[in-house]
Amino acid sequence: MIILKIWSVLQWYLRPFIKWFLRKTTRLCELQRICYGEQAGAPRTCSVEKSLMLSRTQCVKEIVTYLDNVVNERRFVSEYFTDILDPSISIIMRAKKINPKLHESFSVSFRKCLESIWSYKSLIIAIEELRCCQFDSNNSEHEKKLLRLWDLLVPDDKLEARVTKKWQHIGFQGDDPKTDFRGMGILGLENLLFFATEYPQASSHVLSHSLHPKYGYTFAIVGINLTSMAYYLLQDGSAKTYMFNARNHLPSINLFHRFYCYLFFEFDKMWIESKPENIMEFSIIFKRFENAIRTELADPATVFRINIEIDTI
Amino acid sequence: MSFQGLLNILKKLRSNPEKELRLLLLGLDNAGKTTLLKQLASEDVNHVTPTAGFNIKSVLSNGFKLNVWDIGGQRKIRPYWRNYFENTDILIYVVDCSDHQRLEETSLELAELLQDDKLRTVPLLVYANKQDLPSALPASEVAQHLGLHLIRDRTWQIQACVATDGTGVKEGMEWVCKNIPVKK
Repeated sequence: MIILKIWSVLQWYLRPFIKWFLRKTTRLCELQRICYGEQAGAPRTCSVEKSLMLSRTQCVKEIVTYLDNVVNERRFVSEYFTDILDPSISIIMRAKKINPKLHESFSVSFRKCLESIWSYKSLIIAIEELRCCQFDSNNSEHEKKLLRLWDLLVPDDKLEARVTKKWQHIGFQGDDPKTDFRGMGILGLENLLFFATEYPQASSHVLSHSLHPKYGYTFAIVGINLTSMAYYLLQDGSAKTYMFNARNHLPSINLFHRFYCYLFFEFDKMWIESKPENIMEFSIIFKRFENAIRTELADPATVFRINIEIDTI
Repeated sequence: MSFQGLLNILKKLRSNPEKELRLLLLGLDNAGKTTLLKQLASEDVNHVTPTAGFNIKSVLSNGFKLNVWDIGGQRKIRPYWRNYFENTDILIYVVDCSDHQRLEETSLELAELLQDDKLRTVPLLVYANKQDLPSALPASEVAQHLGLHLIRDRTWQIQACVATDGTGVKEGMEWVCKNIPVKK
């Protein structure tokens, strides 16, 4: 612990010297070394972010604040990227004395990093908004979504009433799911709905597992607990590995949903493989699952893919 | 000092290391058990999700180490409640006072708990939760519905509370610490 502390203090003082030395020997600034040297995706993006956050250059600090403000004003969307990023990048390149003609590939890959970093920050705000929005029975949009979830998951059984025991079939607690979303708000429902819409095969596969006579669990309730897990992984930055390594996608609500689907699919696998005695083992298996995911996310090189090859046995 | 005396002191030390207690938190789903648990542990109560299975937390209070077991309240889980009865020092039953429709159901569940052999003579604290909601019944009326005044075989208490902001929670726990059964 103490050694780590001393090291971090030392690093703070040594950093400028190390950077200066590398700059002189490689004739590249730190951002360039990262963009040329680090593997694209999470390794590169996270390093760029760290470098920007630690920077003591006045104009870099200003750009960081500016971009943070853009995010807070909810204006960091792709249609404004050129207007926002072009000047930011050229200011940084000028400050770091990078010749734009010689280092065209730098500006391309640096831009990609900036897009990812601040899209992630935007996403945190957007997800928090969804989470804070409570499920409301008087809101027809919410009600429609809930009923659509049923139709997608159980297409051949129509609900005869809005309040019915049937909800327990897909793993809600009682006759009316409205009280089950709790602290995850509409985000919990949106997650489930996305899983059922975008991965119909996988979700019905997982649902069928949840109905297993011996290893069954409550599909929707477990789903809402997974929403909570995905939410915390996003908040504390662990999900960056997943988000930054998603090829051709910037962090977005849809990508968050996909992350959730991945978690659901993998949790189901682990649950069935664990052969639990009953649902009371949930807390233990859930914790074990979270630890496994956190370990995977800790390696920035990990690329996640849902492997939906469903055994049809 | 005799050898016997020394042994007695050692025994006392061992049987009372930090006065550990086992609290069992039960009630219907959506009663507010997990929120209460988080409130007791001074954790954030805004991110609660329905409990599949159970949660457990250890809380230090008035010199006691309280091991609080929060068991999921949905119907499917209730059959497993009895697996957690053993060695319970205090039973805490949480009622959502705004859920008029299920008052009957919650009374029946409580009545069944009170008849169980393993919970015999275990003191009962009922938290009449969600008092902040306009539709919430007052604690006295909830006590009537639950038939608490008919209980003869144990001490009991009903405490009005709002688990989300902590109102009344402390008062309930003070009662708990005062009514710890003497261990044999």
